[in-house]
Amino acid sequence: MGKVIVITSGKGGVGKTTSTANLGTALAMIGKTVVLVDADIGLRNLDVVMGLESRVVFTSMDVIEKNCDLDKALVKDRRVEQLVLLAASQRNRKDDIKPEQMQDICERLKEIYDFVFVDSPAGIEQGFHNAAAGAEEAIIITTPDVSAIRDADRIIGLLQNQNIEPINLIINRLSPALVKKGNMISKNDVLDILNIDLLGVIPEDTGVIASTNRGIPLVHNDGSPGAEAYMRIARRMTGQRIPIPEMRDDNFFSKLLTWFSRNQ
Amino acid sequence: MEMANSIVKLRGYKDGLHLIITPKFSLTDVEEAIQELMDGMNQPLAGTSVHIDMSPSLLTDDDLKELETHLIQKHDLVVSGVSVVDEKCEPPILAAPATHNISTSLPAENLPDFGKAQIVRQTIRSGQTTSCLSGSVIIYGDVNPGGDVVAAGDIIVLGTLRGSAHAGVHGKLSAVIIAMELVPLQLQIGSYVNRPPIGQKPRGYPEIARVGAEDIIIVEEFIKF
Repeated sequence: MGKVIVITSGKGGVGKTTSTANLGTALAMIGKTVVLVDADIGLRNLDVVMGLESRVVFTSMDVIEKNCDLDKALVKDRRVEQLVLLAASQRNRKDDIKPEQMQDICERLKEIYDFVFVDSPAGIEQGFHNAAAGAEEAIIITTPDVSAIRDADRIIGLLQNQNIEPINLIINRLSPALVKKGNMISKNDVLDILNIDLLGVIPEDTGVIASTNRGIPLVHNDGSPGAEAYMRIARRMTGQRIPIPEMRDDNFFSKLLTWFSRNQ
Repeated sequence: MEMANSIVKLRGYKDGLHLIITPKFSLTDVEEAIQELMDGMNQPLAGTSVHIDMSPSLLTDDDLKELETHLIQKHDLVVSGVSVVDEKCEPPILAAPATHNISTSLPAENLPDFGKAQIVRQTIRSGQTTSCLSGSVIIYGDVNPGGDVVAAGDIIVLGTLRGSAHAGVHGKLSAVIIAMELVPLQLQIGSYVNRPPIGQKPRGYPEIARVGAEDIIIVEEFIKF
């Protein structure tokens, strides 16, 4: 029996879909069975980020309307085994689906898969409630800026009302250099306000843009700081104890040090 | 601004000066008290208009007329209006600041029980509101930005207050707001509003906010009551 985890943020554009794609891929790479459910009905991004757009034939709406069986609607990933995607319909709207229907799909999926990730749409309306309906755990994605943190805080309140527990946090796009200059909110300040457990910190990584556009999740790109951070989070989610490293500042001196240590 | 003695009180509101008359005194007492008040003033009020707030049993219509003439002749003050506060009315709320000092004349059963406190054992997050319209609120946690706490009495936060707090919502100006760390978006006590300067950092010690002598909300280190 697996678990259903909703990935949500409140605010848009903080990296929900990117994190869903990368965490799912990372967990499948270390041997777990994973299904990614796109709950952003009407917009659908997850299949594009995963590079599976051309393979989607049936969507979750087809499963609900009984146009096809659930396992027929699951699209297999191109690169990693044991990773599948349930795409969202683009022809429907967020309120075409009921929370109970979403819950039913999640119940059936967790019988088969170790991890069921539900990629929530932005906002706190029907779409969010549908995404959270079947979830027993949540991962909040936030970036270190005030509006994202405010929205994350709002979402945490809503999830707590629905008795979703635990709620863990991923801080995305943290730039140690900016934090050091005092131009970015630090990891500890974010934790101070949100007051939930930290699952991991993803550093600002320009590689994300290229990987999204190519439809290849970042975790395939070995050695990039973002990929390493997602891999660490995935290992933590399987119960391994991996400390969250304090991020280095990317200034000239530390780059020089890394360069020297690499050439030894 | 506020000038007061035991019988009359002069208070400045948005809509002008209000002369608040405490019940159970005769016209002569009131006139004497006004004289005393004016003598203690460091700036002349001649030519300005005042609004009278009082409870119905206090002065008769004739008394009131005499008081008006007295104010014009002796102090050159024009009476712009008279508010008579009915004893059976609800506790004054912030929408009517002109009457919020009269709550002493309310019968006891209409008064909120400020000794009663609601205890909240969680952090108030963005978009959440906790209100206790019959007493005080104690929060075992933080109040995050976008979170609201409203209380008829005091607000005590055993954590960091980063959101908004409104104590004494029915007009109780002696209500206080106490927090272990006080970095609010906005504070309100009764009808008074205040906000900290932009970019204020937590000071690292408990603080108390209350209405000070200058009729503004002041914040200072909380040591003891």
